[in-house]
Amino acid sequence: MTVAVPLEQQGAAFPRGLARYGRPAGIALLILALGFLTLYPMAMLLYGSLHSTPPGMAGEFNLDGYANLATEENFQALINTTILSVVKTVLSLALAILLAWIVARTDTPGRGVLEVLITLPFFIPPILTATAWAMLGNAQVGTINLAWRWLTGSEGTLVDVYSYGGIVWHMMQYSTPFIFLFIVDAFRAMDPSLEESSRMSGATRWQTFWRITFGLMLPVTTSAFLLSFIRGMESFESAVFFGTPVGIKVLTTQIYDLITQRAQPDYQGATALGFATLALMFLLLVVQSRVLRGRSFTTVTGKAYSPNVTRLGWMRWVTFAICVAFFVLTVALPVGQLILSSFFQFFGFYQLDMLTLDHYRSVWENRQFWGAFGNTLLLGFLGATATMVLGGIIAYITTRTTWRGRRLIDILAWLPWMMPGMVLGIGFLWGFAILPHAVPIYGTLWALLLAYVALGTPVAVRVTSGAYAQIAKDLEECSRVHGAGWWQTLGRILVALAWPAFAVGWVLIFFGIMRELSASILLYVPDTEVLSVVMLKMWNGGKPEAVSVIGLVMLVMVLIFRWVQLRFIKRRISTL
Amino acid sequence: MKRRTVLGLLAASPAIVRSAAAQTDDWAKVVEGAKKEGKLLIYTASIGSPFHRTVITAFEKKYDIKVDLLEARASEVRERVRVEQSAGRFLGDLHHNGSTTTGMMQRDGNFQPRGFVPNVKNIEAPYEADDIKIPAEVISYCLLVNKNIVKPDDEPKSWKDLLDPRWTGKILSDDYRALGGGAVFFVVMQNTFGREFHEKLAAQKPVFARDIQNSERRTARGEFPLYLPFSLQNLNNLKGLPVKAIVPAEGRPYVRFDLSTLKNAPHPNAARLFMNHYLEPESQLVFANAGYNPVIKGVVEKTLPEIRPLLATKALGTTDYTKQDEMLALAKEIYK
Repeated sequence: MTVAVPLEQQGAAFPRGLARYGRPAGIALLILALGFLTLYPMAMLLYGSLHSTPPGMAGEFNLDGYANLATEENFQALINTTILSVVKTVLSLALAILLAWIVARTDTPGRGVLEVLITLPFFIPPILTATAWAMLGNAQVGTINLAWRWLTGSEGTLVDVYSYGGIVWHMMQYSTPFIFLFIVDAFRAMDPSLEESSRMSGATRWQTFWRITFGLMLPVTTSAFLLSFIRGMESFESAVFFGTPVGIKVLTTQIYDLITQRAQPDYQGATALGFATLALMFLLLVVQSRVLRGRSFTTVTGKAYSPNVTRLGWMRWVTFAICVAFFVLTVALPVGQLILSSFFQFFGFYQLDMLTLDHYRSVWENRQFWGAFGNTLLLGFLGATATMVLGGIIAYITTRTTWRGRRLIDILAWLPWMMPGMVLGIGFLWGFAILPHAVPIYGTLWALLLAYVALGTPVAVRVTSGAYAQIAKDLEECSRVHGAGWWQTLGRILVALAWPAFAVGWVLIFFGIMRELSASILLYVPDTEVLSVVMLKMWNGGKPEAVSVIGLVMLVMVLIFRWVQLRFIKRRISTL
Repeated sequence: MKRRTVLGLLAASPAIVRSAAAQTDDWAKVVEGAKKEGKLLIYTASIGSPFHRTVITAFEKKYDIKVDLLEARASEVRERVRVEQSAGRFLGDLHHNGSTTTGMMQRDGNFQPRGFVPNVKNIEAPYEADDIKIPAEVISYCLLVNKNIVKPDDEPKSWKDLLDPRWTGKILSDDYRALGGGAVFFVVMQNTFGREFHEKLAAQKPVFARDIQNSERRTARGEFPLYLPFSLQNLNNLKGLPVKAIVPAEGRPYVRFDLSTLKNAPHPNAARLFMNHYLEPESQLVFANAGYNPVIKGVVEKTLPEIRPLLATKALGTTDYTKQDEMLALAKEIYK
């Protein structure tokens, strides 16, 4: 017979036998694994930032890298980066919350389909949407401006994507669906009785939304905000594409210049700038931790509830229109441009004599593409699964236990997200290359897999810890009282209740792997080529139309994945 | 004097013949050794080039040696080679990169002597080989104009025509302040016309971009009438679009790609054989028809008629890696 003990007394319900030796050993193992995945490449980069030459070259230790950061150019880049990231994150968060509320908590028509459609931009390689927007929104001959001039007879310009606004807009194409995906299931999992109680107590719809719905979503929304803000600080494609032509510099373009745009790459300067960025991001984490400390955000308890939706009446057509407008602006326009262009010889030249299926044929017959596609699928499945398992364990330890060492684990898991990708890629290269040759990592698929797991772990941890924070501890206690073991409780209670978040995290990481280039280009060898590398080759080889075909293939995959995922959710939550 | 020379040559001729015979014997051993090695790994900064692949496929068929390519950007290739070699991992055989990066890697000791390669004798000036590297192909830079916007009479004939006020705010350009075609253009114009040219060009307010492929398309779409410096080998990708490549009268800035054998290459004979294959007229013709300038004699004459006049222009100048950072700083100073 099993005797249940309250969670607090047994250290978060860890099995008694394991508690003595297993727990410290498990924690040590986890710290060791995370240390290798995140701390080790970071240590290589730290060495690089403190040494006049990169690892393996004669030089001296000094602080020149950090001392040289204090330039007017870097300061301007920091201001630009911060403003751009704050603006795009705030706008994206507001929009994503609105969309998540509409999709998850209202009776807006067609919200099941809209949920899939409005997330599509996130999964398209940024270079493709940038190309599409460059055609749509350039000041001289952009489609939008031409239409505007034709309609109004004006000679002026309605939009110009080569501007601060253009950069923000392009970044929002990614951050809005990202935040949406991050928070939508938390909105869905909320007990509507809390909102009903608020309304019955006399609160208005807005007060209820702000104080109850939004308030309870705070862990998820702040996590999403932080992840998105940090990603914004590290964003490269939007700035280099739309900012460089008009002289807008950001931190990542400065790092890129230090590494690739000078005769002697300045790795010391680049890594120092990377660490300065990391330090700033770390401060944000501390702020988030302070904001959330000591507060409860439980919405999933032992009490049964039906996840009902708010009946909006005629207003549901307004919310429907908002979703459709978002879809048209962020999906239909750029994706439509990509689809159209994929059937013509050249992007943006729509003449009948240029109609062709050559781009589809060239991708279909490209052996390199299929090899890379196979490798990427394998790495995507393994990487996303391993990352979610790791992230789920880390999130459990950091959110539901009081074990010693959990803060260290949390910080270690965050590290890869806070270092700009192009710098971290160098850390992996240095770290894996200098390992003893008997360790078969460098030059194999393992190198890519480990890098992907490290890069995806912060997302996995945030997604699952947000979901765990909503689940009441009494559910675990109840399971234990009824005789379930620790693993059973973990699997049948926590994972079972948080699995929609797991599914979203998995999809985010899977497609993150499909797009990842910074580490891939430095770690691949001819046998382990991945999709992002092949796409870079095609792009540089003057085949942007073929790249758009691959982008469309990725979109079809997203549609299938999301459809399957939502079918599962639908089975569990009948009101969807 | 003449008689003495003739007599000297006659006296030396057996030695010359013996030496040539020895080299032929040695080369036969290189070919045999390469076939035994059966493999070759090339690190290249020429990303996604179909012409590179064509030449490689011909080599694979001819010698039954499998060639793998590791393609990445110049600085990434350089760092991979550096870190691999410092970690004692000698994976790559051949290195194919721009002359600036190759020069710096040669200085850093990343290569080994290439040995005798028969076709080196066919290389034509101003390109030259040394005991480490051989020139592979040449990227030539010119102007790209939109034919719908720029009438034939208005086309720039000289690089100095870019300073005409009609082009103010209408020039799209690869960034001169970063490595790449823009930096090559900056150096060659600086060496040819001096700082004054750049100061006047800066007053024309050129718009800088870094994505070459997109810049070419923007010009074709009519966002800008002019783009520079246009890499001639991209002309094939734009066939059918309303654009035209123009090499101004003074000539074309260029940048050479080099082939060199990586230190402790696991397949040194295959590397040498591939170098020789690269300098074969058939291989060079593949590149020349694609818009690259060949590095050996007698190829330009055999190229396609539409590309021949562009390739037959004067090589105006190239970069010097020892002055690269100085030039980038100067570009930053002038083009703020």
